[in-house]
Amino acid sequence: MSEFSLFDKTSSYDGIYMTLMVNRIQMLYFAIIMPVFLIDPYMIWVIIIVGVLSQISIFMLSKWFNSKYAFKGYGGFVELFGERMVRLLSFIGIGFILLKVTVITLGYIEVVQQFIFPSVNTNWMLLYILLICWYVASLGMANTIRFIVIAFLCTAWMLLLLLNFLFQPFATIHDLFPLIPYEWTMKSWKGVLFIWSALSGPEYLVLLSPWFNTREKILKYMTIGNAFTIFEYVFIFIASLFFFGSHYVGENKFPLVEMIRYLESPVFERIDMILISVYLFQFVFAISIFLLLFYGATRITLKKSKDQTTRSGFALCCALLFISLMISNELLWKKATNQNILLELEMWAGSLTYLFVPLVLFISLKRKGRV
Amino acid sequence: MKYKHSKILFVIFVNLIVISGCSPIVENNQIEDIAPVTFWSIQKGEDENFRMSTLIPPLVKEKKRLLTVQVDLLKEGMQGFNLKYYRELKVGQLRMLLISEEIAKEGISPLIDTILTDPDITKRLYLAIVKGDFDEYINSQLVMQEDLDYYLYQMFKHYDTQGKLTVINLHQFMRTLHSPAHSPVVPVFEASNENFQYQGTGIFKNDKLIETTNNMEEQIYQLIDNDHFLKYFPIPDLSFVLGHVKSNVQLNMDKAYSELNLNVQLNGRLDEIAREHKLLTREELSRFESEIELYLEEQTTKFLKKLQENKVDPLQLRKYTLRPFSKPLNEKEWSNRWERMEVKVDYDVKIQPLTDIKN
Repeated sequence: MSEFSLFDKTSSYDGIYMTLMVNRIQMLYFAIIMPVFLIDPYMIWVIIIVGVLSQISIFMLSKWFNSKYAFKGYGGFVELFGERMVRLLSFIGIGFILLKVTVITLGYIEVVQQFIFPSVNTNWMLLYILLICWYVASLGMANTIRFIVIAFLCTAWMLLLLLNFLFQPFATIHDLFPLIPYEWTMKSWKGVLFIWSALSGPEYLVLLSPWFNTREKILKYMTIGNAFTIFEYVFIFIASLFFFGSHYVGENKFPLVEMIRYLESPVFERIDMILISVYLFQFVFAISIFLLLFYGATRITLKKSKDQTTRSGFALCCALLFISLMISNELLWKKATNQNILLELEMWAGSLTYLFVPLVLFISLKRKGRV
Repeated sequence: MKYKHSKILFVIFVNLIVISGCSPIVENNQIEDIAPVTFWSIQKGEDENFRMSTLIPPLVKEKKRLLTVQVDLLKEGMQGFNLKYYRELKVGQLRMLLISEEIAKEGISPLIDTILTDPDITKRLYLAIVKGDFDEYINSQLVMQEDLDYYLYQMFKHYDTQGKLTVINLHQFMRTLHSPAHSPVVPVFEASNENFQYQGTGIFKNDKLIETTNNMEEQIYQLIDNDHFLKYFPIPDLSFVLGHVKSNVQLNMDKAYSELNLNVQLNGRLDEIAREHKLLTREELSRFESEIELYLEEQTTKFLKKLQENKVDPLQLRKYTLRPFSKPLNEKEWSNRWERMEVKVDYDVKIQPLTDIKN
């Protein structure tokens, strides 16, 4: 029987993988519901501004990749913070990872339930999705990272479909007016928070730094990923404004899916069914990565990081994740977007991690450098 | 090796669950068991709220027939159909929703909301208002035309891309309903025993039908808003028929939104002259042109005045007040201004005679 090692560094990847990962991890569930939170046309500028701010975070993260600690992985963090601190941080991290996985998985399942299987119990879908992720993740970190190429190729092209909506007969340029805000309310602030939180995700990638080699150009690759995401956000938002008009976009729960539903292929009418299913690739990738991180963080917290990874331990972690997801699915996940406590929490949690993880890393690197 | 086997066993196990009766998927879409319908017609019921009817598509060699139920709720009707018919009706292919005029006058948003929330029903569902008894028409025509529902759908689809008639689908309706003008439009048809005929554009205020354009208004509406094209443009009052009329519309509002300038350029050809005239000369042609201009200006002004009186804005004129860098008017301000706005209409007609002109 071969050894079951999840975190072996069998190969080191090029920066292009980083580009794809940064981009896809920013395009998860939040991208689907984004227009509901933005509504007003001037949010186009807000997306761009927040995107540029996100570039600062990306810059700080890339400093970590350039440092000498990065390729040591866990050891690097211990050198930087001390073991006790790292254990504490990973314990906190478990909570954040759990929350993120919960929101993206349950969000995706909700879409599937609404549009494809209205009468299927969501827990079944949860089980199936986690089984797939379990399989992908059990192939090891190196293979999961490689899976990003499939996930990207399967989902990124969907953007082209949105081109249709720029040329609908009812779309006029007036749908994009006015371009500057005339009142700035709480709702607009929430929009800003939402975009920032939607852009979060790359901070988890620092944990994957041992698997990457070209450290010098990592900033360039991450920047491309981030820029592509911003382009996608702006494009999705403009397309949804053209399609719904700014007064109607807020009435829809999943604007992006509704738009895709409007497309009709001459061969197959319910094109949304296929596209939602294909979208699963991206979610499987993200959940698998988070599953591995979850397992890793649990091991660190329990002081087991030096031991060999075991099948039973990993399976236990998956089961734990499944149970906690199922519980939050039953108890906490409300089907109304605006009253969903988990979504609200994730908006804050995502924003916080995306703000503080790069900042803390950057500052402690600077201090270490000086000492 | 051991693990490879267990993987295969696992896949087989999952498939067994899904294929056999233990599947968590309750719905069954076996083609022998279902009947996808293409339209619903909703009329006012006698005792209950609605009388819904639909045509059942034949699976084997059987006659198409009209199913009718009397219900209080829309989806109750769906259930009612199933209780009446041996195959299960599916709405996945629903393409048209025909609503009777009486219901439209009372407001259709409860109906539309129900339809909208069903993910099976496409957003491209065509909406139409029907005057008269549609069931009667279907029943009398079924004998002559088997695939009546299909032809009806083809007609909608044809004019959806072609213009000339107003064709509205569910999404477009919702979009205009939610826009600040709240004045969606829906085509109105008249059904009688032998005929199903296009009447004009029904103008809504919120979700209530308030009026239908008459013949002349309809053509003006087509030219200035809908598709800017008419293949035939009869003007009975002047005894002319213009053909292949293409319009170019320019709308201007002044800064205070108190005046609307509507400039319409019409290019077309003179298809028919039903009055006595001498050989066409250049002067005569330009006299015709100015006569048409004057007439159209008068008619258009009348049409716009009527819209103002009814406080509706089906032309979506509000969007012309939106500019990239100025504060938009809110709904109330706009409707106040629109009611009192002075309308100036100017037509510029250029017609080609079909025969050569003598000088």
